[in-house]
Formats: sequence, C-alpha cells, structure tokens
Amino acid sequence: MKLFTNTCTFDYKWEDVTAANWKKYPNDVSTHVIAVDVLKRELVNNGTKLITERLITCQQNVPGWIMRLLNCKNISYVREVSTVDLVQRELTLRSCNLTYSDYMKVYEVVKYTPHPNHTNEITVFEQEAKITAFGRISKLCSKLEDWSVQRYNDNAKKGKIGFDSVLKIFKEQLEDSKRQVDGLVKVVDDLQYSDILSANSSVFKKEFENLKNSSNN
Amino acid sequence: MGNIMSASCAPECTELKKTYDDCFNTWYSEKFLKGKSIENECAKQWYAYSECLKTALVKQGIQPALDEARKEAPFETGGIIQESESK
Repeated sequence: MKLFTNTCTFDYKWEDVTAANWKKYPNDVSTHVIAVDVLKRELVNNGTKLITERLITCQQNVPGWIMRLLNCKNISYVREVSTVDLVQRELTLRSCNLTYSDYMKVYEVVKYTPHPNHTNEITVFEQEAKITAFGRISKLCSKLEDWSVQRYNDNAKKGKIGFDSVLKIFKEQLEDSKRQVDGLVKVVDDLQYSDILSANSSVFKKEFENLKNSSNN
Repeated sequence: MGNIMSASCAPECTELKKTYDDCFNTWYSEKFLKGKSIENECAKQWYAYSECLKTALVKQGIQPALDEARKEAPFETGGIIQESESK
C-alpha cells in the first residue's frame, strides 16, 4: 500500500467552495472526468447535513503497458459519497474506484474546512489517498502503486488549477447576479418615486373604479 | 463557459440531469446553505432523472460493482469503510 497526501488552500469562503463543488466538472484542466451522476441524495439532521452519492465517469490516458496488463478499456468509474455538514462546517468526500478494483483499489478522502484563522475567506483542502495493487508479482504491484502515486502528484496540481478556475467563474456569476438584483432593487426604488408610476397608478385606480361601477350596474 | 454542467454517463439522461442540477444548485445556495430547508427539494426533477439513470446503470453493467461498493462503504455512514479508516 502506498499513501499520497496533499494539502492546499482556496481563497474563497467555505460555503462558496461547497456550492462550487457541485459544478467542479467539467473544467478545462481536469478533462479526464467526462460525466458526473447523482445516485442518491438525502438531507438529514434537521436539514443541517446533506449526504450525496455520485458516480464519476473518467476517461484516462493510461500508458499502454498498464492497458495490456489489465486488459482494459479506458473508461473507468468512481463512486463518491460526500457529506456537507453545516454545523461542523465540513465537506468530506470519500471515493473509491469501481472499475479494475480486482487489480487496484484507491481509497480517497478529501476534506474542505474553513481556515482556522480566516474562517470566512479561506478554505483548506486536505486530500489523502491509499493505493493498493493486488497481484502475484509484488514487484509489478509496487510499480503500479508508484506510478499511481506519481499520477496523483501530477493531477494534484492540475486539480487545484481546475477547481480555482471553476471557483472564479462561480464567484463572478454570484457577483453578477447580486449586481443584477441590486440593479433591480434600484429600478424598483426609482420607480416607486417616479411620477410615471404614480400617474399610472391613478390611471389604474380610475380603471378599477370604472370596472367596479360597471359590475355594480 | 458560464453555466456548463457535467453530462450523465448515459447520454439519454443528460437533459434530465441538467434540469435536476439546475433546481438542486439553486436550492443548495438559496435554501440549504442558509439553513432554510428541512426538505430535500426538486423531487419531481429528481424522479425523472433517477429513473432514467437506474435503467442505464443496469444496461451499462455498473450496477454489480456499485452494489459491492455500497456494502463496503454504506451511504448511511457517509461512505466510511466498514472495517476501519485511518485518519
């Protein structure tokens, strides 16, 4: 068994990171993820905890020697169970591969928590993956595990860049919609004090009175 | 890129998934995160999408591996592996 660990931070508050997590794929960097499906979702603990089971479909560029070794196609599936805990302010994602699990198992745990000193500005990302290859030839297993750890190392940097790009777009959209809402409020405020609306409302009032009178007659 | 959402593993379910995702993402930000919801909403969209997906999972042969994984790391415990999990 080989272990891979990684920690980094994102300059966004925890709530935003968890919302963007659902929109993480597709992104321009992590192109190996080609589909994400929601298998099950439950809200528990009086609406403070959300558990979600997802199926991640990947298309990997696996080297030829591994493809031949495992006799595999390049589509693979990962099952992920995530928990968003509003009370603890913790998002945990636990995943394991469904495909080729006779040859190798990768258990991954990812945690997103608010930074202890910047609880509303920075989110800490912690990742741990346990990689175990199964086979009679231990040297080959070890080689496969080493390759996977290296792969994790390469992907970790890409993963950070990819999620950062998603967060940026997410934040921009959020601010855009906030601006739009603010804009609308302003328009309504302006309208409330505008002569046009009061003129209109007196027209409406007159029409309404007319209607009432005619129905009474 | 804006509002791109991920596809479903079954192309025939992608549209239903997007409709569900739209509803869910709004619910998540507007209600769940603000602690305003005790109900997992979007039931209608969810039903349509999950019925489509269920059939596809069986057709694509993913179901047996999924059942196996559920035994090992149940949904109910947040996907924690039943034997042990080191921190």
